[in-house]
Amino acid sequence: MIETDMSLEAALNAVLLADADALDSKDMQRWLDNYADEENASYFCRSAENSEHGLALGFMYDDCRARLEDRVTFVNDIWVGTFQDYRTRHFVQMTSYHRADTATLEMRSNFSVFMTPKDSGITQVLAAGQYLDSVRQQKNGGLKLLSRRAELDTSVLPRYLVYPI
Amino acid sequence: MTEMKLSWPKNYNEVPKEAFVREDIYAEEVKRIFHGTEWHPVAHESELPNAGDFKTYRLSGVPLLIGRDVEGVVRVFYNACSHRGNQLETAVMGNKTEFECPYHRWLFDSKGDLVGCPNPREFLPGFNKADYPLAQPRFDIFFGLVFVTLSSETEPLLAYLGDSQNTLRELLAGDGRLKLLGYQKVRYDTNWKSYTDNDGYHAPLLHQAFKMLNWQGGNGRQFTATKRGHICFESALSVATGPSVLKDKSLIEFKGQDPAVGSRIVSLFPTFVSTKHLDVINLRFATPIDAETVEVHYAYFAHQDDDEDMVRHRLRQSSNLLGPCGLISMEDASIFHRIHIGNHTPGSAIFQKGVHDPLKLESEFLQNDESGNLPRWEYYRSVMGFERATA
Repeated sequence: MIETDMSLEAALNAVLLADADALDSKDMQRWLDNYADEENASYFCRSAENSEHGLALGFMYDDCRARLEDRVTFVNDIWVGTFQDYRTRHFVQMTSYHRADTATLEMRSNFSVFMTPKDSGITQVLAAGQYLDSVRQQKNGGLKLLSRRAELDTSVLPRYLVYPI
Repeated sequence: MTEMKLSWPKNYNEVPKEAFVREDIYAEEVKRIFHGTEWHPVAHESELPNAGDFKTYRLSGVPLLIGRDVEGVVRVFYNACSHRGNQLETAVMGNKTEFECPYHRWLFDSKGDLVGCPNPREFLPGFNKADYPLAQPRFDIFFGLVFVTLSSETEPLLAYLGDSQNTLRELLAGDGRLKLLGYQKVRYDTNWKSYTDNDGYHAPLLHQAFKMLNWQGGNGRQFTATKRGHICFESALSVATGPSVLKDKSLIEFKGQDPAVGSRIVSLFPTFVSTKHLDVINLRFATPIDAETVEVHYAYFAHQDDDEDMVRHRLRQSSNLLGPCGLISMEDASIFHRIHIGNHTPGSAIFQKGVHDPLKLESEFLQNDESGNLPRWEYYRSVMGFERATA
Protein backbone atom coordinates (compact mmCIF):
# COMPACT_ATOMS: atom_id res chain seq x y z
CA MET A 1 0.00 0.00 0.00
CA ILE A 2 1.33 3.43 -0.91
CA GLU A 3 0.58 6.08 1.64
CA THR A 4 0.03 9.57 0.39
CA ASP A 5 -0.22 11.09 3.84
CA MET A 6 1.96 14.20 3.70
CA SER A 7 2.44 14.31 7.45
CA LEU A 8 3.73 10.72 7.45
CA GLU A 9 6.18 11.57 4.71
CA ALA A 10 7.32 14.62 6.64
CA ALA A 11 7.80 12.49 9.76
CA LEU A 12 9.90 9.96 7.82
CA ASN A 13 12.01 12.78 6.44
CA ALA A 14 12.52 14.04 9.97
CA VAL A 15 13.92 10.62 11.00
CA LEU A 16 16.26 10.70 8.02
CA LEU A 17 17.50 14.20 8.78
CA ALA A 18 17.82 13.55 12.51
CA ASP A 19 20.29 10.75 11.79
CA ALA A 20 22.27 12.87 9.31
CA ASP A 21 22.41 15.75 11.75
CA ALA A 22 23.47 13.58 14.69
CA LEU A 23 26.27 12.01 12.63
CA ASP A 24 27.52 15.30 11.18
CA SER A 25 27.50 16.73 14.73
CA LYS A 26 29.40 13.62 15.96
CA ASP A 27 26.74 13.34 18.63
CA MET A 28 26.69 9.56 19.09
CA GLN A 29 24.13 9.67 21.89
CA ARG A 30 21.70 11.50 19.61
CA TRP A 31 22.52 8.97 16.86
CA LEU A 32 21.59 6.16 19.26
CA ASP A 33 18.43 7.95 20.45
CA ASN A 34 17.16 7.96 16.86
CA TYR A 35 16.87 4.15 17.07
CA ALA A 36 13.88 2.36 18.61
CA ASP A 37 14.40 1.15 22.16
CA GLU A 38 14.06 -2.49 21.13
CA GLU A 39 16.51 -5.33 21.62
CA ASN A 40 16.80 -6.04 17.89
CA ALA A 41 17.36 -2.45 16.82
CA SER A 42 20.22 -2.66 14.30
CA TYR A 43 22.64 -0.82 12.05
CA PHE A 44 24.64 -2.41 9.23
CA CYS A 45 27.15 -0.76 6.95
CA ARG A 46 28.48 -2.84 4.08
CA SER A 47 29.40 -2.67 0.44
CA ALA A 48 26.66 -3.37 -2.09
CA GLU A 49 29.32 -5.57 -3.72
CA ASN A 50 29.25 -7.92 -0.71
CA SER A 51 25.45 -7.92 -0.58
CA GLU A 52 25.06 -8.63 -4.28
CA HIS A 53 27.28 -11.69 -3.91
CA GLY A 54 25.45 -13.01 -0.89
CA LEU A 55 28.28 -12.04 1.47
CA ALA A 56 26.91 -10.73 4.75
CA LEU A 57 30.16 -9.31 6.13
CA GLY A 58 30.11 -5.57 6.73
CA PHE A 59 32.26 -2.61 7.74
CA MET A 60 29.95 -2.38 10.75
CA TYR A 61 27.64 -5.13 11.90
CA ASP A 62 25.56 -3.90 14.83
CA ASP A 63 22.72 -6.40 14.82
CA CYS A 64 21.31 -5.64 18.29
CA ARG A 65 20.72 -2.71 20.59
CA ALA A 66 23.72 -3.74 22.75
CA ARG A 67 26.03 -3.33 19.76
CA LEU A 68 24.55 0.07 18.91
CA GLU A 69 25.36 1.13 22.47
CA ASP A 70 28.87 -0.32 22.13
CA ARG A 71 29.32 1.69 18.92
CA VAL A 72 28.77 4.84 21.01
CA THR A 73 31.42 3.60 23.47
CA PHE A 74 33.92 2.93 20.63
CA VAL A 75 33.65 6.50 19.36
CA ASN A 76 33.18 8.39 22.61
CA ASP A 77 35.57 6.46 24.86
CA ILE A 78 37.78 3.84 23.24
CA TRP A 79 39.08 5.59 20.13
CA VAL A 80 39.42 9.10 21.54
CA GLY A 81 42.69 10.76 20.54
CA THR A 82 43.98 7.96 18.31
CA PHE A 83 42.90 9.06 14.83
CA GLN A 84 42.97 12.01 12.43
CA ASP A 85 39.53 13.45 12.89
CA TYR A 86 37.37 14.45 9.95
CA ARG A 87 34.14 16.35 9.40
CA THR A 88 31.30 14.75 7.47
CA ARG A 89 28.27 16.10 5.62
CA HIS A 90 25.49 13.65 4.85
CA PHE A 91 23.16 14.45 1.95
CA VAL A 92 20.08 12.25 2.05
CA GLN A 93 17.05 11.93 -0.14
CA MET A 94 14.15 9.57 0.33
CA THR A 95 13.35 7.68 -2.86
CA SER A 96 10.40 5.54 -1.70
CA TYR A 97 8.52 4.27 1.30
CA HIS A 98 5.68 1.92 2.08
CA ARG A 99 3.88 0.59 5.11
CA ALA A 100 4.95 -2.96 6.05
CA ASP A 101 2.49 -3.42 8.93
CA THR A 102 0.55 -1.26 11.36
CA ALA A 103 3.66 -0.34 13.36
CA THR A 104 6.40 -0.52 10.71
CA LEU A 105 7.34 1.40 7.58
CA GLU A 106 10.00 0.56 5.02
CA MET A 107 11.94 3.46 3.57
CA ARG A 108 14.63 3.69 0.90
CA SER A 109 16.90 6.73 0.54
CA ASN A 110 20.00 7.76 -1.36
CA PHE A 111 22.96 9.19 0.48
CA SER A 112 26.26 10.80 -0.29
CA VAL A 113 28.75 11.65 2.42
CA PHE A 114 31.51 14.21 2.02
CA MET A 115 34.45 14.15 4.37
CA THR A 116 36.98 16.80 5.21
CA PRO A 117 39.96 15.65 7.26
CA LYS A 118 40.84 18.32 9.78
CA ASP A 119 44.55 18.22 8.97
CA SER A 120 44.40 18.41 5.15
CA GLY A 121 41.22 20.49 4.84
CA ILE A 122 40.60 18.87 1.45
CA THR A 123 37.02 17.75 0.90
CA GLN A 124 36.33 14.47 -0.88
CA VAL A 125 33.55 11.93 -1.20
CA LEU A 126 33.65 9.36 1.59
CA ALA A 127 30.85 7.15 0.31
CA ALA A 128 27.69 7.04 -1.76
CA GLY A 129 24.91 4.51 -1.62
CA GLN A 130 21.47 3.89 -0.22
CA TYR A 131 19.86 3.41 3.14
CA LEU A 132 17.35 0.57 3.49
CA ASP A 133 15.44 1.41 6.65
CA SER A 134 12.73 -0.14 8.75
CA VAL A 135 11.03 2.57 10.75
CA ARG A 136 9.00 1.88 13.87
CA GLN A 137 5.95 3.89 14.74
CA GLN A 138 6.01 4.40 18.53
CA LYS A 139 2.92 4.25 20.73
CA ASN A 140 2.99 8.05 20.96
CA GLY A 141 2.98 8.23 17.15
CA GLY A 142 6.66 9.25 16.87
CA LEU A 143 9.00 7.45 14.46
CA LYS A 144 12.35 5.77 15.21
CA LEU A 145 14.71 3.62 13.17
CA LEU A 146 14.29 -0.07 13.90
CA SER A 147 16.96 -1.15 11.48
CA ARG A 148 19.17 0.58 8.95
CA ARG A 149 21.28 -0.99 6.25
CA ALA A 150 23.72 1.45 4.69
CA GLU A 151 24.53 -0.24 1.37
CA LEU A 152 27.64 1.39 -0.04
CA ASP A 153 28.18 1.75 -3.80
CA THR A 154 31.67 2.65 -2.63
CA SER A 155 33.18 -0.82 -2.35
CA VAL A 156 36.68 0.58 -1.78
CA LEU A 157 36.65 3.20 0.97
CA PRO A 158 39.03 6.16 0.64
CA ARG A 159 39.97 5.76 4.32
CA TYR A 160 39.08 4.02 7.56
CA LEU A 161 35.72 4.76 9.19
CA VAL A 162 35.35 6.13 12.69
CA TYR A 163 31.70 7.19 12.60
CA PRO A 164 28.80 5.22 11.13
CA ILE A 165 27.77 6.26 7.62
CA MET B 1 69.80 0.37 -15.03
CA THR B 2 69.99 3.88 -13.62
CA GLU B 3 71.77 4.17 -10.31
CA MET B 4 69.60 5.38 -7.50
CA LYS B 5 71.42 7.22 -4.81
CA LEU B 6 70.22 6.69 -1.28
CA SER B 7 72.53 6.64 1.66
CA TRP B 8 71.50 3.85 3.94
CA PRO B 9 72.60 4.18 7.59
CA LYS B 10 75.16 1.90 9.14
CA ASN B 11 72.83 0.77 11.92
CA TYR B 12 70.36 -2.01 11.11
CA ASN B 13 67.67 -0.32 13.21
CA GLU B 14 67.53 2.83 11.06
CA VAL B 15 65.52 3.21 7.84
CA PRO B 16 65.92 6.40 5.81
CA LYS B 17 62.55 8.13 5.47
CA GLU B 18 63.33 9.08 1.87
CA ALA B 19 62.77 5.44 0.92
CA PHE B 20 59.06 5.90 1.64
CA VAL B 21 58.44 9.02 -0.42
CA ARG B 22 60.71 9.17 -3.46
CA GLU B 23 58.98 8.55 -6.80
CA ASP B 24 62.15 7.25 -8.46
CA ILE B 25 62.53 4.65 -5.71
CA TYR B 26 58.91 3.58 -6.11
CA ALA B 27 59.33 3.07 -9.87
CA GLU B 28 62.36 0.90 -9.17
CA GLU B 29 60.45 -1.08 -6.51
CA VAL B 30 57.80 -1.98 -9.06
CA LYS B 31 60.51 -3.39 -11.32
CA ARG B 32 62.68 -5.10 -8.73
CA ILE B 33 60.06 -6.27 -6.23
CA PHE B 34 56.54 -6.38 -7.68
CA HIS B 35 57.65 -7.57 -11.12
CA GLY B 36 60.69 -9.25 -9.61
CA THR B 37 61.47 -12.53 -7.89
CA GLU B 38 58.74 -12.47 -5.22
CA TRP B 39 55.54 -14.46 -4.73
CA HIS B 40 52.35 -12.42 -4.13
CA PRO B 41 49.17 -13.88 -2.63
CA VAL B 42 46.24 -12.79 -4.81
CA ALA B 43 43.31 -14.96 -3.69
CA HIS B 44 42.27 -17.93 -1.61
CA GLU B 45 40.62 -20.81 -3.48
CA SER B 46 37.62 -20.59 -1.14
CA GLU B 47 36.76 -17.22 -2.69
CA LEU B 48 35.88 -19.31 -5.78
CA PRO B 49 33.99 -22.28 -4.30
CA ASN B 50 32.12 -23.38 -7.45
CA ALA B 51 33.09 -24.30 -10.99
CA GLY B 52 33.03 -21.12 -13.07
CA ASP B 53 33.60 -18.76 -10.11
CA PHE B 54 36.15 -16.05 -10.79
CA LYS B 55 37.66 -12.95 -9.26
CA THR B 56 39.70 -10.18 -10.86
CA TYR B 57 42.56 -8.46 -9.09
CA ARG B 58 45.27 -5.97 -10.00
CA LEU B 59 48.73 -6.79 -8.71
CA SER B 60 50.56 -3.45 -8.71
CA GLY B 61 48.60 -2.51 -11.81
CA VAL B 62 48.81 -5.88 -13.61
CA PRO B 63 45.26 -7.16 -14.22
CA LEU B 64 44.70 -10.80 -13.23
CA LEU B 65 41.76 -13.14 -13.73
CA ILE B 66 41.64 -15.95 -11.18
CA GLY B 67 39.06 -18.58 -12.02
CA ARG B 68 37.88 -22.08 -11.20
CA ASP B 69 37.39 -23.98 -14.46
CA VAL B 70 34.48 -26.29 -15.27
CA GLU B 71 36.43 -29.23 -13.83
CA GLY B 72 37.06 -27.41 -10.55
CA VAL B 73 40.72 -26.51 -11.10
CA VAL B 74 41.83 -23.01 -10.04
CA ARG B 75 43.89 -21.15 -12.63
CA VAL B 76 45.36 -17.67 -12.94
CA PHE B 77 45.41 -15.69 -16.21
CA TYR B 78 46.35 -12.21 -17.23
CA ASN B 79 43.03 -10.41 -17.54
CA ALA B 80 43.68 -9.28 -21.11
CA CYS B 81 42.52 -10.64 -24.44
CA SER B 82 45.21 -12.55 -26.35
CA HIS B 83 44.35 -10.52 -29.46
CA ARG B 84 44.77 -6.77 -28.84
CA GLY B 85 45.15 -6.88 -25.07
CA ASN B 86 41.74 -5.47 -24.15
CA GLN B 87 40.78 -6.01 -20.48
CA LEU B 88 38.76 -9.22 -20.74
CA GLU B 89 36.57 -9.29 -17.62
CA THR B 90 35.37 -6.15 -15.83
CA ALA B 91 33.45 -7.69 -12.91
CA VAL B 92 35.23 -7.92 -9.57
CA MET B 93 33.80 -11.40 -9.07
CA GLY B 94 31.16 -13.63 -10.56
CA ASN B 95 30.50 -16.95 -12.25
CA LYS B 96 31.11 -17.64 -15.95
CA THR B 97 32.22 -20.64 -17.92
CA GLU B 98 33.21 -18.53 -20.92
CA PHE B 99 34.76 -15.08 -21.22
CA GLU B 100 34.03 -13.02 -24.30
CA CYS B 101 36.05 -9.97 -25.27
CA PRO B 102 33.52 -7.43 -26.61
CA TYR B 103 36.08 -5.72 -28.84
CA HIS B 104 36.34 -8.40 -31.59
CA ARG B 105 34.23 -11.12 -29.93
CA TRP B 106 37.06 -13.50 -29.13
CA LEU B 107 35.69 -16.16 -26.80
CA PHE B 108 37.71 -18.07 -24.18
CA ASP B 109 36.66 -21.08 -22.12
CA SER B 110 37.33 -21.47 -18.39
CA LYS B 111 40.67 -23.15 -19.13
CA GLY B 112 41.78 -20.07 -21.05
CA ASP B 113 41.60 -21.67 -24.50
CA LEU B 114 40.39 -19.58 -27.41
CA VAL B 115 37.24 -21.37 -28.57
CA GLY B 116 35.78 -18.83 -30.96
CA CYS B 117 36.64 -15.75 -33.00
CA PRO B 118 34.54 -14.38 -35.89
CA ASN B 119 35.89 -14.27 -39.45
CA PRO B 120 39.28 -15.97 -38.93
CA ARG B 121 39.66 -16.31 -42.74
CA GLU B 122 40.52 -12.59 -42.80
CA PHE B 123 43.39 -13.12 -40.30
CA LEU B 124 47.04 -13.91 -41.00
CA PRO B 125 47.51 -16.97 -43.22
CA GLY B 126 47.88 -20.05 -41.05
CA PHE B 127 46.06 -18.49 -38.09
CA ASN B 128 45.36 -21.19 -35.51
CA LYS B 129 43.13 -20.67 -32.46
CA ALA B 130 45.31 -23.07 -30.47
CA ASP B 131 48.13 -20.48 -30.60
CA TYR B 132 46.05 -17.86 -28.76
CA PRO B 133 45.07 -19.02 -25.27
CA LEU B 134 44.93 -16.45 -22.46
CA ALA B 135 48.45 -15.79 -21.21
CA GLN B 136 49.25 -16.90 -17.69
CA PRO B 137 51.68 -15.72 -15.03
CA ARG B 138 53.43 -18.36 -12.92
CA PHE B 139 51.24 -19.33 -9.98
CA ASP B 140 51.20 -21.88 -7.18
CA ILE B 141 48.87 -22.73 -4.31
CA PHE B 142 49.56 -23.32 -0.59
CA PHE B 143 46.60 -24.66 1.43
CA GLY B 144 44.28 -22.85 -0.94
CA LEU B 145 46.24 -19.58 -0.90
CA VAL B 146 46.96 -18.64 -4.52
CA PHE B 147 50.33 -16.98 -5.15
CA VAL B 148 51.50 -15.31 -8.35
CA THR B 149 55.00 -14.32 -9.40
CA LEU B 150 55.78 -12.23 -12.45
CA SER B 151 59.33 -13.55 -12.76
CA SER B 152 60.46 -16.90 -14.14
CA GLU B 153 63.44 -16.86 -11.79
CA THR B 154 61.57 -16.83 -8.47
CA GLU B 155 62.43 -19.84 -6.33
CA PRO B 156 59.69 -22.48 -5.77
CA LEU B 157 56.87 -21.34 -3.46
CA LEU B 158 57.67 -23.72 -0.59
CA ALA B 159 61.28 -22.53 -0.49
CA TYR B 160 60.03 -18.94 -0.64
CA LEU B 161 57.80 -19.52 2.40
CA GLY B 162 60.48 -21.46 4.28
CA ASP B 163 59.87 -21.62 8.03
CA SER B 164 56.73 -19.50 7.76
CA GLN B 165 54.89 -22.52 6.29
CA ASN B 166 53.68 -24.01 9.54
CA THR B 167 52.39 -20.76 11.02
CA LEU B 168 50.64 -19.95 7.74
CA ARG B 169 49.06 -23.40 7.61
CA GLU B 170 47.76 -23.02 11.18
CA LEU B 171 46.43 -19.58 10.30
CA LEU B 172 44.57 -21.14 7.35
CA ALA B 173 42.74 -23.29 9.93
CA GLY B 174 45.21 -26.17 9.54
CA ASP B 175 43.78 -27.49 6.30
CA GLY B 176 42.95 -24.47 4.15
CA ARG B 177 39.29 -25.52 3.90
CA LEU B 178 37.83 -22.06 4.30
CA LYS B 179 34.52 -20.44 3.46
CA LEU B 180 34.37 -16.80 2.35
CA LEU B 181 32.39 -14.37 4.54
CA GLY B 182 33.10 -11.18 2.62
CA TYR B 183 35.41 -8.21 2.10
CA GLN B 184 36.32 -4.88 3.56
CA LYS B 185 38.26 -2.89 0.94
CA VAL B 186 40.05 0.36 1.54
CA ARG B 187 42.75 2.64 0.16
CA TYR B 188 45.22 4.10 2.60
CA ASP B 189 47.12 7.32 1.92
CA THR B 190 50.45 5.75 2.65
CA ASN B 191 53.42 4.15 0.96
CA TRP B 192 53.10 0.35 0.78
CA LYS B 193 56.12 -0.10 3.06
CA SER B 194 54.58 2.05 5.79
CA TYR B 195 51.53 -0.17 5.58
CA THR B 196 53.44 -3.45 5.91
CA ASP B 197 55.77 -1.98 8.52
CA ASN B 198 52.87 -1.12 10.80
CA ASP B 199 50.19 -3.70 10.05
CA GLY B 200 50.63 -6.96 11.89
CA TYR B 201 53.14 -5.41 14.27
CA HIS B 202 51.10 -4.25 17.22
CA ALA B 203 51.91 -1.23 19.28
CA PRO B 204 50.07 -2.08 22.50
CA LEU B 205 50.27 1.49 23.75
CA LEU B 206 48.26 2.67 20.74
CA HIS B 207 45.34 0.43 21.47
CA GLN B 208 43.19 1.88 24.18
CA ALA B 209 40.82 -1.09 23.89
CA PHE B 210 43.47 -3.47 25.24
CA LYS B 211 43.86 -1.34 28.33
CA MET B 212 40.15 -0.77 28.86
CA LEU B 213 39.38 -4.47 28.56
CA ASN B 214 42.48 -5.48 30.55
CA TRP B 215 43.45 -7.54 27.54
CA GLN B 216 47.07 -8.64 27.63
CA GLY B 217 48.73 -10.52 24.80
CA GLY B 218 49.00 -14.26 25.30
CA ASN B 219 52.40 -15.89 25.64
CA GLY B 220 54.03 -16.61 22.36
CA ARG B 221 56.92 -16.07 20.02
CA GLN B 222 57.75 -13.83 17.10
CA PHE B 223 60.32 -14.98 14.57
CA THR B 224 61.42 -14.26 11.05
CA ALA B 225 61.65 -16.79 8.23
CA THR B 226 63.95 -16.87 5.18
CA LYS B 227 66.32 -14.15 4.01
CA ARG B 228 63.25 -12.06 3.14
CA GLY B 229 62.35 -11.63 6.79
CA HIS B 230 58.77 -12.93 6.61
CA ILE B 231 57.36 -12.29 10.09
CA CYS B 232 55.47 -14.93 12.07
CA PHE B 233 53.70 -14.52 15.40
CA GLU B 234 52.44 -17.55 17.29
CA SER B 235 50.59 -16.84 20.52
CA ALA B 236 48.26 -18.75 22.75
CA LEU B 237 44.94 -17.07 23.07
CA SER B 238 44.38 -14.52 25.76
CA VAL B 239 41.00 -13.28 26.81
CA ALA B 240 40.04 -9.99 28.34
CA THR B 241 39.79 -10.30 32.11
CA GLY B 242 38.71 -6.86 33.26
CA PRO B 243 35.15 -5.65 33.77
CA SER B 244 33.97 -5.22 30.22
CA VAL B 245 33.01 -1.84 28.87
CA LEU B 246 31.19 -3.74 26.12
CA LYS B 247 27.52 -4.63 26.41
CA ASP B 248 27.85 -7.29 23.73
CA LYS B 249 30.76 -9.41 24.91
CA SER B 250 30.53 -11.81 21.97
CA LEU B 251 32.75 -9.38 20.05
CA ILE B 252 35.77 -10.55 22.04
CA GLU B 253 34.66 -14.08 22.83
CA PHE B 254 36.59 -17.19 21.67
CA LYS B 255 34.41 -20.11 20.58
CA GLY B 256 37.05 -22.07 18.70
CA GLN B 257 38.44 -25.44 19.64
CA ASP B 258 42.07 -24.91 20.53
CA PRO B 259 43.29 -21.83 22.45
CA ALA B 260 46.90 -22.82 21.64
CA VAL B 261 46.30 -21.71 18.05
CA GLY B 262 44.21 -18.73 19.14
CA SER B 263 46.44 -16.09 17.65
CA ARG B 264 48.61 -16.18 14.53
CA ILE B 265 50.03 -13.50 12.28
CA VAL B 266 52.03 -14.10 9.12
CA SER B 267 53.42 -11.13 7.25
CA LEU B 268 55.13 -12.08 3.98
CA PHE B 269 57.44 -9.82 2.03
CA PRO B 270 56.50 -7.57 0.32
CA THR B 271 52.90 -6.65 1.26
CA PHE B 272 50.86 -9.61 2.52
CA VAL B 273 49.52 -9.62 6.08
CA SER B 274 47.29 -12.37 7.41
CA THR B 275 45.92 -13.00 10.85
CA LYS B 276 43.88 -15.39 12.88
CA HIS B 277 42.74 -13.79 16.10
CA LEU B 278 39.98 -15.12 18.36
CA ASP B 279 37.62 -16.57 15.73
CA VAL B 280 38.55 -14.16 12.95
CA ILE B 281 40.46 -15.55 9.95
CA ASN B 282 41.60 -12.61 7.85
CA LEU B 283 43.76 -12.49 4.71
CA ARG B 284 44.80 -9.00 3.57
CA PHE B 285 45.60 -8.74 -0.13
CA ALA B 286 47.49 -5.49 -0.46
CA THR B 287 48.99 -3.82 -3.50
CA PRO B 288 50.55 -0.43 -4.18
CA ILE B 289 48.58 1.98 -6.36
CA ASP B 290 51.33 4.61 -6.45
CA ALA B 291 54.10 5.82 -4.15
CA GLU B 292 51.58 7.36 -1.76
CA THR B 293 48.67 4.92 -1.91
CA VAL B 294 48.15 1.28 -1.02
CA GLU B 295 44.91 -0.65 -1.56
CA VAL B 296 44.04 -3.41 0.90
CA HIS B 297 41.33 -6.03 0.45
CA TYR B 298 40.57 -7.56 3.85
CA ALA B 299 38.99 -10.95 3.10
CA TYR B 300 37.36 -12.81 6.01
CA PHE B 301 36.64 -16.51 6.31
CA ALA B 302 34.85 -19.19 8.26
CA HIS B 303 35.82 -22.87 8.15
CA GLN B 304 33.91 -25.33 5.96
CA ASP B 305 33.09 -27.53 8.98
CA ASP B 306 31.61 -24.68 11.05
CA ASP B 307 28.00 -25.08 12.08
CA GLU B 308 25.55 -22.26 11.46
CA ASP B 309 26.11 -20.68 14.91
CA MET B 310 29.85 -20.59 14.42
CA VAL B 311 29.56 -18.99 10.97
CA ARG B 312 27.29 -16.33 12.46
CA HIS B 313 29.70 -15.74 15.35
CA ARG B 314 32.63 -15.33 12.95
CA LEU B 315 30.60 -12.96 10.78
CA ARG B 316 29.69 -10.77 13.75
CA GLN B 317 33.22 -10.82 15.16
CA SER B 318 34.98 -10.32 11.81
CA SER B 319 32.91 -7.29 10.82
CA ASN B 320 33.55 -5.33 14.01
CA LEU B 321 36.91 -6.41 15.45
CA LEU B 322 39.67 -5.98 12.85
CA GLY B 323 39.93 -4.06 9.59
CA PRO B 324 39.57 -0.38 8.74
CA CYS B 325 36.72 0.19 11.22
CA GLY B 326 37.45 -2.52 13.79
CA LEU B 327 37.43 -2.02 17.53
CA ILE B 328 41.12 -2.92 17.89
CA SER B 329 42.46 -1.83 14.51
CA MET B 330 40.91 1.44 13.39
CA GLU B 331 43.80 3.27 15.11
CA ASP B 332 46.31 1.31 13.00
CA ALA B 333 44.68 2.68 9.88
CA SER B 334 45.12 6.21 11.13
CA ILE B 335 48.77 5.54 12.00
CA PHE B 336 49.45 4.45 8.38
CA HIS B 337 48.42 7.92 7.21
CA ARG B 338 50.30 9.80 9.89
CA ILE B 339 53.52 7.84 9.43
CA HIS B 340 53.44 8.68 5.75
CA ILE B 341 53.07 12.40 6.45
CA GLY B 342 55.91 12.19 8.97
CA ASN B 343 58.12 10.40 6.45
CA HIS B 344 58.35 13.61 4.42
CA THR B 345 60.88 14.87 6.98
CA PRO B 346 64.66 14.38 6.93
CA GLY B 347 66.45 11.58 8.70
CA SER B 348 65.62 8.01 9.55
CA ALA B 349 62.84 6.07 11.22
CA ILE B 350 64.52 4.50 14.22
CA PHE B 351 63.47 1.14 15.65
CA GLN B 352 64.07 0.75 19.39
CA LYS B 353 62.07 -1.94 21.13
CA GLY B 354 63.85 -5.27 21.12
CA VAL B 355 67.06 -3.97 19.51
CA HIS B 356 70.01 -5.25 21.50
CA ASP B 357 72.83 -4.33 19.15
CA PRO B 358 72.21 -1.98 16.20
CA LEU B 359 74.98 -3.71 14.23
CA LYS B 360 73.41 -7.17 14.39
CA LEU B 361 70.28 -8.78 12.98
CA GLU B 362 68.37 -11.32 15.05
CA SER B 363 65.62 -13.74 14.07
CA GLU B 364 63.79 -14.41 17.37
CA PHE B 365 61.89 -11.62 19.07
CA LEU B 366 59.50 -10.85 21.87
CA GLN B 367 55.89 -10.33 20.98
CA ASN B 368 55.75 -6.57 20.62
CA ASP B 369 59.33 -5.98 19.53
CA GLU B 370 59.80 -3.49 16.71
CA SER B 371 63.03 -5.28 15.82
CA GLY B 372 61.06 -8.09 14.12
CA ASN B 373 60.77 -5.85 11.05
CA LEU B 374 64.52 -5.39 10.65
CA PRO B 375 65.46 -8.58 8.72
CA ARG B 376 62.84 -7.59 6.13
CA TRP B 377 64.37 -4.14 5.84
CA GLU B 378 67.80 -5.65 5.29
CA TYR B 379 66.38 -7.79 2.47
CA TYR B 380 64.64 -4.75 0.96
CA ARG B 381 67.90 -2.79 1.07
CA SER B 382 69.80 -5.56 -0.68
CA VAL B 383 67.16 -6.07 -3.42
CA MET B 384 67.11 -2.34 -4.09
CA GLY B 385 70.88 -2.19 -4.25
CA PHE B 386 71.27 0.54 -1.63
CA GLU B 387 74.68 0.53 -0.01
CA ARG B 388 74.89 0.47 3.74
CA ALA B 389 77.27 3.06 5.16
CA THR B 390 80.35 1.63 6.81
CA ALA B 391 80.78 4.41 9.32
